[in-house]
Amino acid sequence: MEQYSAAEKIYELFSEKALALGIPEPVLVIAAYAIPCLVVINLIQGAAGMLTYAERKISADIQNRIGANRVGPFGLIQFLADGVKLFLKEDIIPDAADRKLFKLAPYIVLSSTVLAAIVVPFGGSFIVADLNIGLIFIIVVSSLLVVGFLMSGWASNNKWALLGGIRSAAQIISYEIPTALSLLCIVLITGTFSLQETVMSQGLWPWQWFIFHNPFSFVAFFIFFVSALAEMNRTPFDFPEAESELVSGYNVEYSGMRFSIFFIAEYGSIFIISGLAAAVFLGGGNIGLDPYESPLHMQLLMVGVFFAKTVPLCLVIIWVRWSMPRLRIDQMLTMCWKYFIPIAFACLVATAIWLLVFNGNGIFWRMPAP
Amino acid sequence: MNAIRNYMDNILKAVTSTAKGMGITLRYWALEPSITVEYPDRLGKGVTAEDLVSERFRGFLGFEPSVCIACLQCQRVCPTDCIKVGTEKRDEVRFITRFDVNQAKCMHCGLCVEECPTEALFFTKRYEGACFDMEGLCFSHVGEPVPAAKRKREDGGQE
Repeated sequence: MEQYSAAEKIYELFSEKALALGIPEPVLVIAAYAIPCLVVINLIQGAAGMLTYAERKISADIQNRIGANRVGPFGLIQFLADGVKLFLKEDIIPDAADRKLFKLAPYIVLSSTVLAAIVVPFGGSFIVADLNIGLIFIIVVSSLLVVGFLMSGWASNNKWALLGGIRSAAQIISYEIPTALSLLCIVLITGTFSLQETVMSQGLWPWQWFIFHNPFSFVAFFIFFVSALAEMNRTPFDFPEAESELVSGYNVEYSGMRFSIFFIAEYGSIFIISGLAAAVFLGGGNIGLDPYESPLHMQLLMVGVFFAKTVPLCLVIIWVRWSMPRLRIDQMLTMCWKYFIPIAFACLVATAIWLLVFNGNGIFWRMPAP
Repeated sequence: MNAIRNYMDNILKAVTSTAKGMGITLRYWALEPSITVEYPDRLGKGVTAEDLVSERFRGFLGFEPSVCIACLQCQRVCPTDCIKVGTEKRDEVRFITRFDVNQAKCMHCGLCVEECPTEALFFTKRYEGACFDMEGLCFSHVGEPVPAAKRKREDGGQE
């Protein structure tokens, strides 16, 4: 029997013993899915913490400063100290705020990040659920972010927050289109939306990756990367929280742990988007072996390969933030509607023609025999 | 045709200028050393906090009672009322009974130092004043009353 996810593997491992003990099957199924989900949530938390540290250190290096170096060796556990500080802060809810929406908004933003993590293949058989609509699922849940931002902006009853929320709606909805179109180029090549199968049809070596499949998928990678930056509100597209214009944007009224949930969601989505780019365009954790048949140490090696591709992409995202100034809002929308969408469409059509002409083969990549 | 050329030019410009900017930050990230000097890491081995600051640093106020003529100019000019001077006349000699500086209120504007005619009041380089009580920043520079110095111009100059 083919195994498509860590959850199914856990289910198979424990099903006989649990059913013998009289645990009903639905409980077992829920437990089998809950364990990897908890692992993924904690992975996102850890990744977000380490990314805040990386952000501080890299920004310091670029600006000839030193950065965090007091808590732990090289300041490595600075993010734990920050987390403790945020826990101890007073949780302020403004009188004029819509209390229910105000409390709900951070969780919606965080859940959009965590839901996206479900379908990201972390190498080997380590994937929570290998949905056969994986890429569509990621695009759908990442637009949940808009709901959270608009909700927090509206519920704060603050003009800056509302402006930030409305900007984020305009921005995320526009940039969803080039993101989806550039991912569609790869879907055309593989013929599947499943992320695990997308990874499995690539190889260990760079010329087997989909970024080098044809010239148009090379362009599509950059369009995907830049519009993903815009979709998760990173500088140079951080309009919803433009510090110099909107104080702090949609999260201006938040404090303490609620604020840090927004923060975790932001940095978690950096990790998820990098992981997605690594999996779809850069071969993910593929080392040329079958992820489900190979022994455990090879699977862990695949995880290592996946992280070796994801972490540099995260660092590039941080590097971009400290290089580029923020655009104007009209420049941002011009860039999306006049440049990214036409170019992404052109890439999609050109990839389709390429596949038709070369019978599904890339420059080096060969269609697997059916 | 012009519009198409403009469009392509814009794309090219965006790509090259982004690459150029990121190249500059990459150089700073990888090559340039950090020039920030962290203060507590350089103390010890004979180096004190006073040695780290420049010549004209405005630290805590210092007071030299032997040249003070008790003119009270410093107390009058202080915008935050952080200087309190007390004088007393005993046997035709003016004594300075107190000279208190509240460093917690001082904003280091330097007006008192400029005003002081005899340079009895000056800036030291001391700045490490962290303490658990605000009272710890109130300094009494005169314990026992000391006689004020003679004014230089006794011959009709402004008293």
